[in-house]
Amino acid sequence: MNNDHAVLSTHVNDDISTTTDPSSDDIILDFRNVTKQFPGVVALRDVSLQIRRGEIHGICGENGAGKSTLMKILSGVYPWGTYEGQIFFEGQELKLENRSIRQAIEAGIAIVYQELTLVPGITVGENIFLGKEPLEHGAINWDKLYADTQNLLTEYKLDIHPQALVKNLGVGKMQMTEIAKALSENARILILDEPTSALAEAEIEQLMTILRTLKEHGVTCIYISHKLNEFFAITDTVTVLRDGRVITTQPTRDLSVEKLVSYMVGREMTERFPESHRQPGEVVLEVEDLHAVDPEESTREVLKGVSFNLRKGEVLGIAGLMGSGRTELAMTIFGEYGKITRGTVKLGGQTLNVRNSHDAMIQGLSLVPEDRKRHGLVLIQSILRNISLPNLDQFATWYKIDDNAELKASRNFAQSLAIKAPHLNVLCNTLSGGNQQKVVISKWLMSNPKVLIMDDPTRGIDVGAKYEIYKLINDLTAQGIAIIMISSDLEEVLGMSDRIMVMHAGRSAGTLDIAEATQERVMSLATGIA
Amino acid sequence: MNTTSNNNSVQSVVSNLTKQFRANIQTYAIIVAMIFIWILFTIATGGLYLSPQNISNLIRQMTVTSFLAVGMVLVIVTGNIDLSVGKVAGFVSVIVAQFQAEIWNMILPDRPLLTTILSVVIGLAAGTLIGTLQGYIISYLAVPSFIVTLGAQWAFNGGILIVTQGKTIPANQPLFSWIGQGYLKPTAGWIVAAGVIVTLFYTMLNNRQKKRRYGFELSPLYMDILKTALYSVLIVVYVAIVNSFNGVSIPVLLLAISAVVMAYVSNNTRFGRYAYAIGGNREAARLSGVNIKKNVFSIFVVMGLLCGVSGIVLASYIGYGTVAAGGGYELDAIASCILGGTSTLGGEGTVFGAMIGSLIMASLTNGLQILNVPSSWQYVVKGIVLILAVYTDVYFKKNR
Repeated sequence: MNNDHAVLSTHVNDDISTTTDPSSDDIILDFRNVTKQFPGVVALRDVSLQIRRGEIHGICGENGAGKSTLMKILSGVYPWGTYEGQIFFEGQELKLENRSIRQAIEAGIAIVYQELTLVPGITVGENIFLGKEPLEHGAINWDKLYADTQNLLTEYKLDIHPQALVKNLGVGKMQMTEIAKALSENARILILDEPTSALAEAEIEQLMTILRTLKEHGVTCIYISHKLNEFFAITDTVTVLRDGRVITTQPTRDLSVEKLVSYMVGREMTERFPESHRQPGEVVLEVEDLHAVDPEESTREVLKGVSFNLRKGEVLGIAGLMGSGRTELAMTIFGEYGKITRGTVKLGGQTLNVRNSHDAMIQGLSLVPEDRKRHGLVLIQSILRNISLPNLDQFATWYKIDDNAELKASRNFAQSLAIKAPHLNVLCNTLSGGNQQKVVISKWLMSNPKVLIMDDPTRGIDVGAKYEIYKLINDLTAQGIAIIMISSDLEEVLGMSDRIMVMHAGRSAGTLDIAEATQERVMSLATGIA
Repeated sequence: MNTTSNNNSVQSVVSNLTKQFRANIQTYAIIVAMIFIWILFTIATGGLYLSPQNISNLIRQMTVTSFLAVGMVLVIVTGNIDLSVGKVAGFVSVIVAQFQAEIWNMILPDRPLLTTILSVVIGLAAGTLIGTLQGYIISYLAVPSFIVTLGAQWAFNGGILIVTQGKTIPANQPLFSWIGQGYLKPTAGWIVAAGVIVTLFYTMLNNRQKKRRYGFELSPLYMDILKTALYSVLIVVYVAIVNSFNGVSIPVLLLAISAVVMAYVSNNTRFGRYAYAIGGNREAARLSGVNIKKNVFSIFVVMGLLCGVSGIVLASYIGYGTVAAGGGYELDAIASCILGGTSTLGGEGTVFGAMIGSLIMASLTNGLQILNVPSSWQYVVKGIVLILAVYTDVYFKKNR
């Protein structure tokens, strides 16, 4: 640390008017005393951070710690002059104009965003060369475009077909395409913002391999994630941000998960999962040999025999890789996706017959969907309107909604789930991920469900908010609600479930009691080895 | 001591008002724009623009397309569009005119009250039926509304020609004409105004009472009184002005009723709430148990009903069923909504805003007419104002 300060002070003493920096040979990106203020909030406080050439540099911190502000400065969303301090890239001061992502790319900085930014209806090659297609007499030279694409993909060992349509690719391959696109721009530094939030374990492993290949090719990476174990798998150095400050920058080998968590939250966190004393009661939901087909394509079977049961006050974890049918199972039980061709779903001993989400809700089922922005919330509406939307029947006579009763009930849920907002008229698109998820959960608890299905409930939310969601799950089971928790995060499934059903290729591959479940056993079932 | 506390309360009033203003900046911006237009025309016309006669005319002129704008708001809010409303209203107007001019004379001669009521019923039924049909095709057969209503626009243009045989049909029987051209007597106007004001205050106090019973914090009483008083003053001023000319006009009264009903429906019923949710995020609405098909279908039925109202008023107001009836009204209605802050992406928009938008369109047309600007240039100005208004909105949203 002392050493860092010494280096820093020589920088500061340098003549600021010169834009080159003699000591920057192995430093590719250098933030010096960057402060970014918004009215009433300081998002970054005096951040000094150096990224060495060729390293994979992890950045972690809770939501609101300043990671995304840092990225927005690098991509020109907050242009040069709107922040204090300096940023040097390759020894030159970076002076981005307003929203000139183009300028950042030309400088050699490429960002792979959490939400992918590809055009779905065109091919991989077209996406990679979008805006810089090779021309011959003013027309696109398709042969060259696809040949160049193939070369690029081969060089970095990316296993994608250049002429595949992007919309037909899985999330993992879409991300590879995005990375290839960045590499085709001759990116010297690649920033990955939560790259694994939508990936399954096997795809994460692939991504790690790709990143190692990139490192061999001398590409520098900044790796932002909420999943702490990934830092240990891939990074050389980790920087922890908290409340807009750099808390520490250390070589990864000197760190441990416990240390990282305590740096992030500012206190020792002994347990990632709250303690629970669950006593599951009688069986409430029974699914037997469920088969279902894609409603758009009746020959494609998405569920090929799923059986399980769920008890009152129990958490059943569902694990499985992307495409194993986890989400399809949830949506099919909820009446909104698959057409059931065989098998039964029984709720409280009665065969369930739901044609849509409204039916499901009346029967006592609730679903917290996987993608809260696309399926969970009307982002341009207020917290109040979102919470009450599925529950308006409770407050309505045939012609009128009792808005006072609506407000009162919504407020009760907002308070008991500790949604952080000054009032309920705040629009959902201004909330953090964790608070948005609490709004989604509130709206589905108000209907007083017997069974709550949560599809990846902690995806993309920070450690603190995750812990609150886990506590909430425990509270709900104590009230007798039965919970199905689908998750891509194995530790979460192991930490929160009473039993775990593992899915593989549309089937239930096996159900493990928590006492006998280990990461290895779950993974071998999920990959079809066992 | 006294002065400081006075200062404090003044400050809190001001800060409350600015807070209100910030929250509704879009609505206020458009009201400011409207006042600006009025001032401009008043100066240009040497005061003629604000004469009682002209104000009465101006507001009456906006009614026919405003009925369409009232319905169009919810259509656009759900992410749909209705290009047929002008021709549907036109079609209703020529059917009604045909009944008034010929059919009633043959089967029910000399029964003005009965035939007028029947004409209204037939007009409303025709509009609703057309709306039902279009809503069914859009919602349940899943043909995009843009296509269905474009097709319907052509079809009903043809319908108008078939009914009129290319001729002008007179619909100027006194009782029927009252719907579009009549006025309330001054005393009746004042009675209506008094009734509305009493209702406003009663509702305001009643709402506060209910909120108190639920234990909610209340906005300061003076704020609510100020707001209600402002509306009341506007009503009184309007009635005073038009009473010094002819009185409150019937179509304006009908429009006010339609707008209030639809504003209420859009905020306080499941039907209205679902419309905003569908436009805001269709998938989230579907997963929240909203029956999207039924809701969109119903919205087109309501739109049809309002086309019926508009058509009846149109026939009565101009006194004829003509070949050109309703031409281009759909664009006026859409423009009114957009000017009034309805988002073309769906999910946002208010009936109140659309009414202001409609008033701006009418104010422009009327002012330019008084100034004897040729109609060719009126179109140019209206077009530029629409684009400018939306650009201003985009600009302020970006730089907020």
